[in-house]
Amino acid sequence: MSTHHDIAVIGAGPAGGNAALVAARAGLDVVLLDEQPVPGGQVWRGKSPSIHSAPQTPESQSGDALRQALTESAVEQLTDARVWDIRRQDDRWALQVLRNGESHEVAASALILATGAREYVQPVPGWTTPGVIGLAGATALFKQSLTLPGTRTVVSGTGPLVFYVASEIRRLGGEVAAVVTPNTRGEWARALPAMAGQPRLLGRGALWVADLMLARVPILWGHAISEVFGGNSVTGVRARRLGENDPGQEFSADSVCVGHGLIPQIEAAQMLGVHILHDPALGGWVPEVQPDGATRVDGLYLTGDGCGIRGATAAALQGVLTGARVARDMGKSTHMPSLRPWRRAAKFGRAMTALSQPRASVAALTTDETIVCRCESLRRADILAEIAIGAQSTNAVKSGRRAGMGPCGGKYCQTAIAALIAAQTGKPLSEIAPPTPRPPLRPVPLSQAAGDFDYDDLPIPKPAPL
Amino acid sequence: MIRLVPNHAPAIRRSEKVHFTFDGQSYEGHVGESLVSALTRAGHLSLRGAPVDGAPRGAFCCMGLCQECAVIVDGQVVEACRTDVSADLVVERVR
Amino acid sequence: MTQAIPYDIAIIGGGIMGCATALRVAEGGMTAIVLDQGDLGQGASGVNAGTLSLQIKRVKLMPYALRGHHLWEQMGDAVGFAKTGGFTLAFTPREADMLHERQTLKAEAGAPIEFVANNRLRDAEPHLTHKVQAASFCAEDGYANSSLTGRYYRGRLQDANIPYREGCKVTAIKEGAPFELSTPQGTIRATRILLAAGAWLKPLAALLNVDLPVNARVNTVSVTERMPPLIRSVIGHATGLLTMKQKANGTVLIGGGWQGRGTPQEGRGTVDAHTVRPNLALAQYAVPALGSARVLRSWTGFEANVPDFYPLAGPLPGVPGAFVLGCVRGGYTIGPYIGQLMGDSILGREPEMPLFDPGRDFEKDTA
Repeated sequence: MSTHHDIAVIGAGPAGGNAALVAARAGLDVVLLDEQPVPGGQVWRGKSPSIHSAPQTPESQSGDALRQALTESAVEQLTDARVWDIRRQDDRWALQVLRNGESHEVAASALILATGAREYVQPVPGWTTPGVIGLAGATALFKQSLTLPGTRTVVSGTGPLVFYVASEIRRLGGEVAAVVTPNTRGEWARALPAMAGQPRLLGRGALWVADLMLARVPILWGHAISEVFGGNSVTGVRARRLGENDPGQEFSADSVCVGHGLIPQIEAAQMLGVHILHDPALGGWVPEVQPDGATRVDGLYLTGDGCGIRGATAAALQGVLTGARVARDMGKSTHMPSLRPWRRAAKFGRAMTALSQPRASVAALTTDETIVCRCESLRRADILAEIAIGAQSTNAVKSGRRAGMGPCGGKYCQTAIAALIAAQTGKPLSEIAPPTPRPPLRPVPLSQAAGDFDYDDLPIPKPAPL
Repeated sequence: MIRLVPNHAPAIRRSEKVHFTFDGQSYEGHVGESLVSALTRAGHLSLRGAPVDGAPRGAFCCMGLCQECAVIVDGQVVEACRTDVSADLVVERVR
Repeated sequence: MTQAIPYDIAIIGGGIMGCATALRVAEGGMTAIVLDQGDLGQGASGVNAGTLSLQIKRVKLMPYALRGHHLWEQMGDAVGFAKTGGFTLAFTPREADMLHERQTLKAEAGAPIEFVANNRLRDAEPHLTHKVQAASFCAEDGYANSSLTGRYYRGRLQDANIPYREGCKVTAIKEGAPFELSTPQGTIRATRILLAAGAWLKPLAALLNVDLPVNARVNTVSVTERMPPLIRSVIGHATGLLTMKQKANGTVLIGGGWQGRGTPQEGRGTVDAHTVRPNLALAQYAVPALGSARVLRSWTGFEANVPDFYPLAGPLPGVPGAFVLGCVRGGYTIGPYIGQLMGDSILGREPEMPLFDPGRDFEKDTA
C-alpha cells in the first residue's frame, strides 16, 4: 500500500514548512511529514491541546502563521508521523511512516529533508540526574506545554539560547537561580557586527539580559557548570570560571537547563548517500549541499538547520529557496528568489553558532568518571580505554564498547566521543567522522514495523547448498 | 520590582485536569499535555533506571530523540515526552 | 615512504581470515603486515549476526566448522562467545521434511544434531510459538559478538607485534619480487601477498588482472533494545529465513539472510524495508512477545561467494607469490580455523585439512 506524491518533505519547521508551501503553490502535489502533532518544528513548536489560551510570543506568532498558511494550502499534512526508513525505489523515494500505531509507505518523486537540529550537551558529573534537561528541550516544554522545568532552575550554556530559556522561565512565572555561560562579554561584543543586520533579534536579546539583571539573577560569564548534585532529582550545581583553578560556587536548584550548541541532524541525508563535511562554524558535520538545497543525489534536497546551523530566520528563507528549486527542477516555471536575504540571515545565524564552537576548557569539565554515553552508562574512562587499545574511529568505539548502540543511536554521545578521539590521537576533528548511521531513524516497535503478516506469503528461497 | 519580561503565568488557560497513574501512583495532568510535562509539574522527575546500572534517569531532550523518558503504556515502550495525558491512563516504568 | 626491507607477506583485508592468517604466519617466523581499507573487522567479520551454528553449515565443511567452534570457545569472553545450544524450527510439514533430510546429513557429517519433541522445546523455550511442527537441536551451537571482532584482532596483532594499517586502501599492486602495493599511506613492499578482502576480492584481484567469479549477498541484520529474557538458545528456521538470539545484555539479534541492496564496489550496502519487514514479522511469528520490542538498528553485510559456494583458499592462479582466502560459506564460524590452514600453507607446511584451490572449475560441485 503506497500513496504517491510529487514531493515529500520531512520536517515541518520553518524550512520544511516553507519549502512545502512554495512547491505546492507552484502546482506540485506535496506531502509534509512531521513527528509532532502540529507543524512548527522546534523553534515554532505548536501548543498542545492542553493549552486553551495563552499570551502570544514572537515564536508562537510565526508558528501560527506557518500553520495557517499550510492549512490554507494544498499541502497534505501528515502529523504525528515518524519516518523510520527512506529508500530510493526505482525512480521514486519510498518512505516508511509510522502513524497511529501502523507503518505504511509514502512515495514521492522528489524528497526534501528538513530534519533540523539537535543539541550538544557537554557531559559533566551528574548531568544524567533527573531534572537536567537540554536548553532546546526546555524550549519544547515551554512552547508545547507552557510548563516550567522546575521551581528554581539554573540555566547554563552557550549562545543566545541560554538567555532565551532564562527569560522564558521568568515569563512563565518561574525562578532562575543563575545563568551560567561559557561565553564572555567580549565574545558577544565581537559578534555584534554580524548581529547588526537583525536589529529585532538583537533587541530581544538585550531585553532578556536587562530583565535578568534587573531581577538580580546572577549571570556568570565565562563560566560553566562543572557538577550537578542530586540523586533521584537535582538539588544543585557547582559553576566554575573556565580556564582557571576556580573552586567554583554552588547554587541550589531543583532543575538545570543546559546546552552547548546545536548540531545538524544529518543521519537521513548520510543514509541516502550525501557526502558530509566538517564545518565547526555551522555546528560540526554538515551535508554537502547547495544554498538552494540541491544535492548530488538525484531527486534529493536538503534545507534548513539540517544543512548547518544558521537559525530559524535563515531556515525559513532557505525553505523558500528549496521549494522553488525543486519546483523548477520538476518542470514548473517558478520565480527563483534572490539568495541575498538568506545570506544576510545566515550571517547572523553563523555568528550565533560560532558562540557555541567547542572549547577545550568546557570539554575539560568531563571527568574520567563522568558518563559520556547515557544509553550504555559508559564513562569517559571507558571511552579513553577503548581508544588506548587502538580504536581510532567513532565506529571502532561503537563496536568495541556499544557507545552508540543504545536507543538514542549515538545522537547524544558521538560528538563528545569524536572530540576524545581527536584529543587522544592528535587528529583534527575533521578526520573523525560520526559513526555510520543505521535505520530505523527512530526506534520502531517491532510489531508495527513488521505489519500484517501471512506465513504462507513467505518467499521460501531455494534451499542453501548442502 | 520592574519587570521587562512580563509574567504570563496567570494568563494561561489550560484544559481540564484528569488523573493518571505512573508506577502505581496517581498524578494529575491536563488532558492533552505530555506525560513529561505533567510529571515534571508534579515534581516526579525520575522516570526509569538506566539499563546498565539502574541509576535514575528522566526526560532530557524532550523531543523524542534521547529515549531517556521511555515508559510503558499498553505494554509498549513509548517516549513520555511524546505521549499525551488522558483520563485514567496507566503508565508503567520500564523494567 | 618505501620501507627498506620488504615484509614476507602483506595481507590485504583485516577481517577474521586475514588476521588469523597473519597471526599464523607470524608464529611461523614470517614478517607480516595487515592492511584494511576501513577499520579492522568492520566488514562481514564485524557486522554479521554472530551465529555459530553447525546446523547451517555445509556438509563438506562440517569438519572445518567443528574446529572453528572450538577456536571460538577458546576466544571466549573477549569475543562474547556463548554456547547456548540452538534450535532449528519447522512450521509446516514441508519444512519438517526438509529439516529432517538436511539435518540428518549434517549429523552424519559429525555435527551433534538431534531431533527434539515439542514438550522439550517448550520447556527450553517457553516464549516460542506453539505452531512449531518439528525442531532439531544442536548443543554445540551458540553465538559470539561480531562487533568485537575488530577490537579482538587489533589486540591479538598488537600482542604479536604485527603491524596493521587502518584506512589504508590498496589502490594498485605491482607484481614482482617484491610486490609493491600503493596505498594512501605510502607504498608497501612484500615478498608475498594474501588477498583476504571478503566481498571486495573481485576488484582487488582485478588489480592483478585476475577475474575471480565472486558474488556478494547483502545480508540484513536487525537488533532490538534490551528486553526481559525471551529466548535462551540460538533460534533458526528450516528455510534459513530466520536466525535469532538474545544476548546476555537483553538485546535480540534478528537475521536470516534477507537481502538488502548495493554492491561492494559502490561502498556500503543499504537496508531494504521491504525485506526487513517480513524478517521481523517472522521473528515475531516465532516469538510473539517480540512484538513489543523496539527495533533500534538494521544493517547489512556483504557475504562473498563463488558459484560452487565453497571457499577460495590457496594460490591465486597465474600470480606467483599471491594467495587468496575468502568466500567461505559460514565464514564467521570457520574463519579463525581456515586462516590457520592458510597460514600453514603459506609457511610451506602441510595444512591439517585440505584447502580449496582458487583455480578450480567453479561449475562443478567438487572442492
